[in-house]
Amino acid sequence: MDVVLMKFALIAYAIGAVVLFIYFFSREDWLRNFGATLAVAGCAAQFAQLAARYQETHIWPLLNLYGSLSLFSAMSVAIFIFFAFRYRLWFAGGLLLAIAAIFLAYGITWDEGVMPPVPSLQSYWAKIHVPLVVSSYGAFLVAFVFSIIYLVKDYGERRFAKRRIVTSTASGGAAEATLPGVPLSKFDPAPETFAAESAASLRDTPALAAAAEGGDVVAGWFATLPSLAQLDVLVYRAVAIGLPLLTLGIVTGAAWAHEAWGRYWQWDPKETAALTSWIVYAAYMHLHTRNAWRGLRCSWLNVLGFFVILFTYLGVNIWISGLHSYKA
Amino acid sequence: MFGNVPFGVSLLAVWGVLTLIGVVVTQNQPPGAYFTSYPAPIARAILRMNFDDIYHSVWYLTSVGLVLLSMITATFTKVIPRRLPPYRPVKIDAMPLHATIAVPGNEATVRARVEEFFVKRGFRIRRRDFEGTEWSFADRWNWARIGVLVNHAAILIIAAGAILYWMRGFSGETAIVTGQATQIPRTNTIVKLDRFSYTIQPTMTKSGMVYQPIDYVSHVTVTGPNGVPRPMVVRVNHPIDIGGTLLYQASYGFGMQFAVTHDGKTVSSLARRLLVEGDSLQIPGTSRSVAYQQFVPTVDPRTHMPSADPRVNDPAVILTVADSGTPLGQALVPLRTWLDLGAGWRIEPARYVMYSGFQYTYDPGVPLVAAGAVLLLAGLIISFYFLPARFHVRVDAEEGGACRVGLAATTVKGYDIFETQFRDLVSGLRTEAGKGAS
Ligand code: HEM
Repeated sequence: MDVVLMKFALIAYAIGAVVLFIYFFSREDWLRNFGATLAVAGCAAQFAQLAARYQETHIWPLLNLYGSLSLFSAMSVAIFIFFAFRYRLWFAGGLLLAIAAIFLAYGITWDEGVMPPVPSLQSYWAKIHVPLVVSSYGAFLVAFVFSIIYLVKDYGERRFAKRRIVTSTASGGAAEATLPGVPLSKFDPAPETFAAESAASLRDTPALAAAAEGGDVVAGWFATLPSLAQLDVLVYRAVAIGLPLLTLGIVTGAAWAHEAWGRYWQWDPKETAALTSWIVYAAYMHLHTRNAWRGLRCSWLNVLGFFVILFTYLGVNIWISGLHSYKA
Repeated sequence: MFGNVPFGVSLLAVWGVLTLIGVVVTQNQPPGAYFTSYPAPIARAILRMNFDDIYHSVWYLTSVGLVLLSMITATFTKVIPRRLPPYRPVKIDAMPLHATIAVPGNEATVRARVEEFFVKRGFRIRRRDFEGTEWSFADRWNWARIGVLVNHAAILIIAAGAILYWMRGFSGETAIVTGQATQIPRTNTIVKLDRFSYTIQPTMTKSGMVYQPIDYVSHVTVTGPNGVPRPMVVRVNHPIDIGGTLLYQASYGFGMQFAVTHDGKTVSSLARRLLVEGDSLQIPGTSRSVAYQQFVPTVDPRTHMPSADPRVNDPAVILTVADSGTPLGQALVPLRTWLDLGAGWRIEPARYVMYSGFQYTYDPGVPLVAAGAVLLLAGLIISFYFLPARFHVRVDAEEGGACRVGLAATTVKGYDIFETQFRDLVSGLRTEAGKGAS
């Protein structure tokens, strides 16, 4: 039963990723609805799978890389679904579902069958610590995806800004576009226009706005994405889920280590790698209080942060042995 | 400069990089191990820079110290002095977040309705008169500015807990052989190991048979300063408390008694010694020594090689014989068989005795660290989820019995972050204030 659910989730994510990628470019509503349905169904199947496995074996299913990666993809999709419903962000689902599917597929290769946990893992802390840490990774994946979209849009703006300068010098400045009041975001759910929104979009990406007004298809597509300011806020909101969860994850890990090994902090590679991730996101949080660092630099910092998370999550287990190694 | 955010973040970056180096470079290895893993110049650099024990190195402690110092400076120079801006009139249209809505009713009732709307949503209202124009200010979660302070204090409390351990705490490891007793260092407590047992469950997995340990249990008798012996059980994840020092189940092993004979006669002085893995015996009057390398719980009956089964079925030991320190060879010697050492000497692994490895820790800093951790979380939640915001509200009566309500909002974290909520609040106000009028 649980294998069927797992495969169903994997297929749902894979198809959902393709559908939402097409939606990213075409903006057909039915594609969004179809992709969203697949994401929700896949995510539900994953949680059902974990529950079924626990029911069958009475062994907490998150203590090996198979279960943990499964929860990671399920949590990242769940957190994304929350954002997508709340802020209408299904267009970002293609990238997210594709990454979730890859991690899930990789997790399946670690399926060793059912094994009772070793003594140090027989602790109620295991049931708390692992889901918290893995959920924080899921939130950071969502932040990473939004950062990528930010960077893509920012890149688009730079390209169009350059082009605009070239055209305007070629024609003696006559082609310099004025900033029109175009409806910039199809995803903008507001029934009324507020000063802030259109102002933010125009301030953010004037070159894209101008080119879109001039009928450029690519610019028109870019312009339908949320404004850079909105994307930056989305990244921040995802980190606002991830950082407290990571902190709580580290704290519960310390409590567990205190109980199992006699020291709450052992300078074990997994702990110290997690500390590095925590430092990166703490730095992000501070830089985000500065106007000059919001947006572009903070997005890059998030990309870096996610790579550190990946290293903490998988790299340490694969390359570096320690108390946390799943293979130990 | 020392307390500004970019400088603080640079220090965080240094701290992060040093922490990462300690992940990548395996810590606390013997110097030779670094020369095996890295090219010689890098290995030398690792040792010279103390990167083999980076978390106790000058670099690391300095980086953490500077982070704390910078954080304290920032807290006093930037965080604590900052107050909410004073109440003052603004040019509504010039504020990035603004809206103007029309609400039927006279000025007093419209203002009351608007204020009630905000009060219901947790805002606190202040009215101020500026040269005949009345302004209402709606503030929300102003207290949440304390989040930064809570966080910075939390980090200091955790650091204080860690320092308390360095100053007053201790920890170490000790092994107790079955039937023997040991005083746990720096305590007045004697612990005797009555019995050690383990449970191992063979499990078939996709990659073959795995012998999964399920339980390690030490049955001990603890005698504290009062002299009354108490039987107790120590298992993994269930340490026992002996007068404030915690005793943990950490490992186990097999002690070994060897029977040594010379020309067929037992050498009783050597037989009385109990060796643990890694110990060696010097053969008297020769340059030879025998090292008890490893206990092999089960020898595979077909291959006569050590099997993966950690349960004791058919035990043997691996012995290394050396002459003047130069290894001559290694042998797998089943229990109650002997190995010829030459010159009439024989050695026989006679009897094994299990020992249990314990970790003991006394850490008076734990309550501080735990309190700091709770505060840290609280501070993060406050900082992320309680955004102090202010609405500036101006109500102007218009012709025809309606009012124009101008609203502009600011927060302590800029405008973009409040955009959605601003829109929702203004939409809500429009609906509710309109409803109230009809
Ligand atoms: C390197 C040393 C540090 C310095 C110089 C520093 C400085 C500051 C400053 C000036 C602020 C106020 C920013 C503003 O609102 O404009 C702040 C905010 C904050 N700090 Fe630190 N800090 C340091 C380390 C830490 C650490 C290690 C933590 C641990 C979590 C921390 C947690 C926070 C939090 C939660 C906020 C609130 C952020 C927000 O409201 O978005 N700080 N810090």
